[in-house]
Amino acid sequence: MVQTHRCEDHETVGENKEKRPKFFINDHVDILIEILKRLDGRSLCVAASVCRLWCTIARNDSLWENLCFRHVSPPPSSVRSVVLALGGYKRLYTGCVRPVRSRLGRMRKASWARDEVQLSLSLFCVDYYERLGGSNSNGRVVEKSSPSSLMFLCKPVNV
Amino acid sequence: MKRDHQEISGSGSKPAESSSIKGKLWEEDPDAGGMDDELLAVLGYKVRSSDMADVAQKLEMLEKVMGTAQEDGISQLGDTVHFNPSDLSGWVQNLLIEFNGPTTTPDPNFNDDSEYDLRAIPGVAAYPPVKSDPGLENTRKRAKTESSSSSSSTTTRPVVLIDSQETGVRLVHTLMACAEAVQQDNLKLADALVKHIGLLASSQTGAMRKVATYFAEALARRIYGIFPPDSLDPSYNDKLQIPFYETCPYLKFAHFTANQAILEAFSMANRVHVIDFGLKQGMQWPALMQALALRLGGPPAFRLTGIGPPQPDNTDALQQVGWKLAQLAERIGIEFEFRGFVANSLADLEPEMLDIRPPEIEVVAVNAVFELHPLLARPGGIEKVVSSIKAMKPKIVTVVEQEANHNGPVFLDRFTEALHYYSTLFDSLEGSGLAPPSQDLAMSELYLGRQICNVVACEGMDRVERHEPLTQWRTRMETAGFSPVHLGSNAYKQASMLLALFASGDGYRVEENNGCLMLGWHTRPLIATSAWRLAGTESGSELTQELS
Repeated sequence: MVQTHRCEDHETVGENKEKRPKFFINDHVDILIEILKRLDGRSLCVAASVCRLWCTIARNDSLWENLCFRHVSPPPSSVRSVVLALGGYKRLYTGCVRPVRSRLGRMRKASWARDEVQLSLSLFCVDYYERLGGSNSNGRVVEKSSPSSLMFLCKPVNV
Repeated sequence: MKRDHQEISGSGSKPAESSSIKGKLWEEDPDAGGMDDELLAVLGYKVRSSDMADVAQKLEMLEKVMGTAQEDGISQLGDTVHFNPSDLSGWVQNLLIEFNGPTTTPDPNFNDDSEYDLRAIPGVAAYPPVKSDPGLENTRKRAKTESSSSSSSTTTRPVVLIDSQETGVRLVHTLMACAEAVQQDNLKLADALVKHIGLLASSQTGAMRKVATYFAEALARRIYGIFPPDSLDPSYNDKLQIPFYETCPYLKFAHFTANQAILEAFSMANRVHVIDFGLKQGMQWPALMQALALRLGGPPAFRLTGIGPPQPDNTDALQQVGWKLAQLAERIGIEFEFRGFVANSLADLEPEMLDIRPPEIEVVAVNAVFELHPLLARPGGIEKVVSSIKAMKPKIVTVVEQEANHNGPVFLDRFTEALHYYSTLFDSLEGSGLAPPSQDLAMSELYLGRQICNVVACEGMDRVERHEPLTQWRTRMETAGFSPVHLGSNAYKQASMLLALFASGDGYRVEENNGCLMLGWHTRPLIATSAWRLAGTESGSELTQELS
C-alpha cells in the first residue's frame, strides 16, 4: 500500500508528474506531519489506522503534546519531562485533557484553557499514582488495571 | 427531604431502584420479598464487618456474571433494589442466586411506585400486564406476617399508584417522632415507631429510602443499646473512604483546595514539610507533588510526615503509602522524604517527635482533612492538638470539615441536623450517574451510613463524628491564635472546574465564604475548606502574586 520511492526535492514533483500521475503524501513526511499536527484527537486516532507510516507518525508524542497545549501558550520545558514520566502526552490527552475539555464545554472561557490543562495534569498525576498499585492489604502486589479515580470522567455526562 | 424528580426518558442517570422504572424490560428480583423482612426486622442485625472482604468478592463475581448476562442480551437487572443497604452480603447473595437461576416471577414491588407510571407507555415492553400470581401473594403475605401487627392491615399494596410522596412526608415525621421519643426516654414508643419507619422506608425509592434505613438502624441501635462492634476501628473507616473518594467530589474538592493553599504558602521555599494528620492512602499528595515539580524555579525538597491509626493486622500501611509516593516523586524528579507515625489519637502526638526543622530552613504545612472533629469527643483533645500545631510553627494550616452541626447538646437537634445533612449527601450520590449495583456506590453509602450510626446511636467518647460548622471552627482557631488565610481565586477556579467534570456537576455548588470555600449540593453547603496561619506572621500570599 505504501509505495516508497525517493524524492529528491519538492520541485521535482512537478516534473515527475508525467511519470507519476498521483501525488503521494507519504513521500512528503514533513507535510504530512504538518497536516496531522492540526487534527483533533479523534481524527488523529483515525489517521493512525490508515497505514504503517501514518501510524508511526501519529504515535509520536509530540503531536499529542501539540494537541494538549494547542490553545495555551507553550508551557515551560519542565512539563514535558513530568508528563513523559507519568505516561506520555497521548495518555494525558485521551485520559484527561479531552474529557476535561468536553465536559467543561458548556462553561468554557478562553482564559480557562491554562487551568484546564493544569487540572488535567493534576488528575493525570493522581491516576499514575493509583496505577502504581503497590501491595494491598493482603500483601500481594497489585497492579490496578483500571484507573479508578478517573472513572468519573468516563461516565456519561448527566445532561 | 429533597427528591429529584426525573423523567422516564432520562434513563441511566439515576442509580435508583427497580421500582423506579427506566423503561427497561426486566425480570425482577424474586427475593425482594425476603429482603423486606430483613428491613423490617431492624433488631439485631449488624454490619458484618468481617464479611466485608467476602462481600467485595461476591460483588466482583456478581459484576462478572452481570457482564456476561448482559452480553447475552438479557437486559435484566438494569436496576436493583438495594433494600437493605447495611446487609450487603445478603443482597449480593440474592442477586447471585437470581443470576444463576433466573426466574420470571414479577417483583412484588414492580407494582409499587407512583411517579413513574409505565402504563402510560404503549405496548407490552415497558410494563407487562400484571398477572396476579399466587406465589407473589404469598411472598407479600410472608413479608407482612413477620412484621409488626400494626402493619398487616394498613399496607395492602394495591396495584395502583401509591403516592410515595405522601409516604415520604410521613416517613420524615415518623423519624422525627421516633427521635423525640428517644429524647424523652420513651423507649416503648420509640421502638414501635422504629418498626413503622422500616415499613414506610420500603415504599420509598432512591436516596430517601437509604437514608431512612440508615437512620432507622441507628435509632434502633440507640434504643436497644446494640452498638456496632467496629465503630471504633478507624482503619476500617479509612478503607471505606477510598470508594467515597472515587464516586463523589467531596474529598477531591477538599484535596484540591487545600493543596492550592499549601502551594501558595510554599511559593518561595526550597525545603518544605507537610504534616498530614490523616494520611490514609495519600491521595492528596500526588497532585501537590506534581504542582511542586512544575513550579517556576524548580521543585523544592519535599518532606511528608503521615499520621495514621494502628492497623488491626499490624501491617505498616503508612510505609506502603510512603513507598508509593516515593516512587512517584522519583518519576517526576522531586527530592522526597517520608516518615509515618502511628497514633491512636492525634492528641497523643508530641511535636518533638516530628523532627520539625527551623522555619528558616524548612517551611511547614499542617493538613487536617476531617481529622479534627473526632478530637472533640475527648475533653482537652482539641486544645492539645491545636497547641501542638502551634508548636510546629506552620506557615499554613489547612482544615477541611463537614459543614454541619452534629455536636449540639440536645439529641433531637443533632438528629434533625443529621437527617437534613445526610439526606442532601445521599441525594448528591444519587445523581452521580453511577449505574447500580456499583460496588463503589454501595461502599460510599456504607461509609456515610457508619457516620450516621455514630452520630445517632453513640454517646460520650464513642461519638466521634462531632461535626461542627465553619463558624465554630473559625472561633476556635481564632481564639487559639490563628488568623485566616484567604483561599484565592485559583482555588475557586480549580474547584469549580473540578465539579463541572462530575456527572451531576450542575447540582454541586462552590461558595466562597470569607475566604473559605464551601462545597454544597444545591443550596446546602456540605463541606468547608479553610486555611490558617499563626497570628502575627506574614501570610506570604503577597509574594505569590509576583509568580502567578
